[in-house]
Amino acid sequence: MTDTESGGLRAAVDELRDRLAAVRNDGAGGNEAARTKHTDRGKLLVRERVNRLLDPGSPFLEFSALAATGMYGKEGDENAVPSAGIVTGLGQVSGRTCVIIANDATVKGGTYYPMTVKKHLRAQEIARANKLPVISLVDSGGAFLPMQDDVFPDKEHFGRIFFNQANMSGEGIPQIASVMGSCTAGGAYVPAMSDETVIVKNQATIFLGGPPLVKAATGEVVTAEDLGGGDVHARKSGVVDHLANDDAHALAIVRGIIETVPRPTSTPWEVLEPEEPHEAPETLYDVVPSDTRTPYDVREVIRRVVDASRFTEFKQYYGETLVCGFARIWGHPVGIVANNGILFSESSLKGAHFIELCNQRKIPLVFLQNITGFMVGREYENRGIAKDGAKLVTAVACSVVPKFTVVIGGSFGAGNYGMCGRAYDPRFLWMWPNARISVMGGEQAASVLATVKRDGIEAKGGEWSADEEEQFKAPIRDQYEAQGSPYYSTARIWDDGVIDPADTRRVLGLGLAAAAHAPVPEPSYGIFRM
Amino acid sequence: MKTLLIANRGEIALRVIGSARALGIRTVAIHTDLDATAPHVREADHAVRVEAYLDIDAVVQAAKDSGAEAIHPGYGFLSERAEFARAVEQAGLTLVGPSADVMDRMGRKDAAREVAIAAGVPVVPSYGIDDDPASMNYPILVKAAAGGGGKGMRIVRAADEFEAAVAAAKREAAKSFGDDTMLIEKYVERGRHIEVQVMADSHGNVVHLFERDCSTQRRHQKVLEEAPAPTIDEATRALITGASVALSKQVGYVNAGTVEFLLDADTGEAYFLEMNTRLQVEHPVTESVVACTPSGDKVDLVAVQLAVASGEELPFTQDDLWLDGHAIEARVYAEDPYSGFLPQAGNATLVRWPVPPFEGTRDGMRVDAALESNQVVSTSFDPMLGKVIAVGKDREEARRQLVTALERTSILGLTTNTGFLREIAESDAFRDAEIDSAWLDRHPPTAPDPSLARTIAAWTDVAIARLVERPGPLMADGWRDGGPAVPTLVELDQVVRVDRAAGLVDDTRVVERSMADHVASLRVDGQRIDAVVNAQEHGIDVALRGQRFNFERPDVFGDHGPVVGDGTLLAPMPGTVLAVNATSGQEVKEGDVLGTMEAMKMELALKAPFDGTVVAVHPKVGEQVPLGAVLFEVEASA
Repeated sequence: MTDTESGGLRAAVDELRDRLAAVRNDGAGGNEAARTKHTDRGKLLVRERVNRLLDPGSPFLEFSALAATGMYGKEGDENAVPSAGIVTGLGQVSGRTCVIIANDATVKGGTYYPMTVKKHLRAQEIARANKLPVISLVDSGGAFLPMQDDVFPDKEHFGRIFFNQANMSGEGIPQIASVMGSCTAGGAYVPAMSDETVIVKNQATIFLGGPPLVKAATGEVVTAEDLGGGDVHARKSGVVDHLANDDAHALAIVRGIIETVPRPTSTPWEVLEPEEPHEAPETLYDVVPSDTRTPYDVREVIRRVVDASRFTEFKQYYGETLVCGFARIWGHPVGIVANNGILFSESSLKGAHFIELCNQRKIPLVFLQNITGFMVGREYENRGIAKDGAKLVTAVACSVVPKFTVVIGGSFGAGNYGMCGRAYDPRFLWMWPNARISVMGGEQAASVLATVKRDGIEAKGGEWSADEEEQFKAPIRDQYEAQGSPYYSTARIWDDGVIDPADTRRVLGLGLAAAAHAPVPEPSYGIFRM
Repeated sequence: MKTLLIANRGEIALRVIGSARALGIRTVAIHTDLDATAPHVREADHAVRVEAYLDIDAVVQAAKDSGAEAIHPGYGFLSERAEFARAVEQAGLTLVGPSADVMDRMGRKDAAREVAIAAGVPVVPSYGIDDDPASMNYPILVKAAAGGGGKGMRIVRAADEFEAAVAAAKREAAKSFGDDTMLIEKYVERGRHIEVQVMADSHGNVVHLFERDCSTQRRHQKVLEEAPAPTIDEATRALITGASVALSKQVGYVNAGTVEFLLDADTGEAYFLEMNTRLQVEHPVTESVVACTPSGDKVDLVAVQLAVASGEELPFTQDDLWLDGHAIEARVYAEDPYSGFLPQAGNATLVRWPVPPFEGTRDGMRVDAALESNQVVSTSFDPMLGKVIAVGKDREEARRQLVTALERTSILGLTTNTGFLREIAESDAFRDAEIDSAWLDRHPPTAPDPSLARTIAAWTDVAIARLVERPGPLMADGWRDGGPAVPTLVELDQVVRVDRAAGLVDDTRVVERSMADHVASLRVDGQRIDAVVNAQEHGIDVALRGQRFNFERPDVFGDHGPVVGDGTLLAPMPGTVLAVNATSGQEVKEGDVLGTMEAMKMELALKAPFDGTVVAVHPKVGEQVPLGAVLFEVEASA
């Protein structure tokens, strides 16, 4: 691999593809023994289930495929939980865009680790915000018991799944479940809380307590099938509505169910015939330097993402470090806010103005984030960059149009807030593999902490050698280096996935198509500090 | 003759209309309600509704009412009914065909045989019904005197089978023809069916238009017909054509007729079988090869029929007629050759003939057919959909052209025998003229492998979907983030993976050449394939080299509903048991009705949940049973 800049981005993309291929494997994240055991039972692997559920050829926008990477065990390690043991994403089922949540039983029996819960809840959040039907393909042993304290009790833990199901159903968002394996304890509420449920006979079971627990509790000896098998629930308990012969049949029934869900009849904005950009998406590899510190014109990115490479810029000659303008992506109108340098007062004001325009016109916002932060220093502070930055943050926070954030470079400090970081509820947030995210750069953090420490030591009359300072700073730099990685971010579901830059247009298009399902309310803002 | 009524339907009606129109004759069609918009009704100048095509009075009345002077009966229906001919004559109209008297004489096989003997025509050695079975030279053929189409016919190979065979044949004959008179003849093991076309005018002129060979038959129904006959020598040809003319003269025949002979393939001897007093289905092969001096034009048999019926003399003498080339006809039927030739019905969603019907012979192909796209084929009429005729300078050229023509014949929506016809036309046995009239019955066809058609269906399904869809982020290209696109799964009778990017259908390499107007032009594993494909919501129909393959998409709620866990049938409602059909120990198939009960004014069939044995029958007929009462118990077969 050459060390040229484009080679650098290509290398980063190659690494991303390798990582994705590793978790996706031949259809499930578990090891070969687990996959074989699964398929020997006549069950389809989780990604095969998703493929069979989707319309023929439907794209699938997977959410956080690399979730939990390195959190419970190194990749390939027996403690690893590839994709957090659950596949989530959106695609077309019977011509309707749906969110799919599918347990991967080859990974720890599909049990819920903390990240599994977070990923499930995030998929529900996406479904709710975009009003997309949810299809759960259930094959899970329930909570991962050794980590129950991080899975069970808190607000954003296991119970929230069912809270969300009930409320989404209440909002008219269909909740459909197909039980294709075990579905035990709390997990039993996924089908039970669903609007319509399918079960695979002689394969899937639903019960609050499995045979071992029943025996321990009451002494009753019962087989899993008699306790909560397909026939029991389809004929006696009424817990499910449809009985399927096998996985394929169950998925086909789900497709039939979704066919009865009305299609959305209108979109909140006009969608025109799409046009391809004039430059192929792969040419992004050649225009984006891999080192986030190397400046380049973000318009080169925009013209490779938007329809016909046409971009109508707003305030082109004012606040030039923030590029704002209108374009279309796959025919959907968008307002693009993209960093082209550090944020100054003017760029912040320009951004706030532009965001208000988009909200007024109900045009979705796309943030292309590559920001080291707001300008610092006496001159800028004295001129009130804090209040101008606050105006941008207020505008972003109070936006009612769907927002999409792509971290195409650095995401540091308050720049993250002004550019619609995770805390600002973008409908989707994706990262490029060259992205970096942290409160500040590792070097800056190490220097700040070293300065504080040196001041403390020197105040007590002590001395701190340059060697000692370097020894102090090195681990801080290392920590920031590791935690700033997009894979560290995506493992923790701070984003919805690390994407190939060449996929940016398609991914944004899928996000826009999803967002077009939900109406846009009237805007209202907090106080803009003048 | 100014106005002609055609007492027929389908392709033959269109055929007659064509020739009549060329002669400036106005045409009148008849039709039943089912045929109110049939092609022959649209094509004719005038149309009259009748209750049935076989209603003699109505047909004659229709002719009178529409001012027709003549009636062309076509083939089938009333064409060989002397009673009809008589009614036409009595109404003062002209039948395009022989007189009622001639029909009477030739219509019965026994009478025809007498006429033949009198005319010096060789006949099959025969026996009297009362002759001693032990004295007969087996095998023999027992057949109904009034019969046809293989009904009331039995081959007997030994004296002790004789009585049973005769009894069975008589029963069948009585049922089919209302006449159980039997004839007994020597049976020729390897017989070829040869027939001579004759044409006679009312001035005593009789000519023959050479012979046809219709040996490719299945259960006595002609499949392929050709002219001239490939296996006879000039001496035999002279014998049978001469005998046919003599016979026609003997009986005072007028108009078109066909004299059938049985040719013993082993000895080369020809025996008179019967005379058909009408235009034959297979007349186009004769029209394709019999040329007339001095123009060298081919003969239009229908035009000659109409001329003769108008009282004109034959437009040619025997010496004017000569053989030019070879022609083979294939009869396209709505039948399934791979399921005992069961008649098929349905909507012919897409019909593609190799050349347009009734527009003459083009590229050595001619089609006589009335079937067109979206026509409903019912079982009410003869299941013949049309005829594909190939013409060449010699037999091999005609045969190759026939294969091509059948490959280009695509009928979708219902099953036809086209692929089977192509298979026979392609076979070595047919090429070598080895197919005798019982050959197909000894070599039942095997259904073709659907895998290539499935590959085409799946690929086309995906290609069309991509073609018609609006481009957008949700387009069905199998996109996945950060990885290769996934193949598209097409669920047919099995799940097929189509990877357009890689050019693969499962493991088969496919290159798309073009895709337009239902024609998928592909290269599959390097082989060029053109198929006609109709991809619909519920299934995909593929016509590949004449053969139609239908792949249904699975219907989850309709098809494989899951079976009951245990075989206990409970009363679904409180009610009365109406019938108990099953007995304990009885073997049952899934879906067999074991009993019926009535509840809430509904009759409920209690069906076996799976294949197995009935192990317990609880209810009695008339018994009142409560909800959930155990009625039947079935044990699944292992």
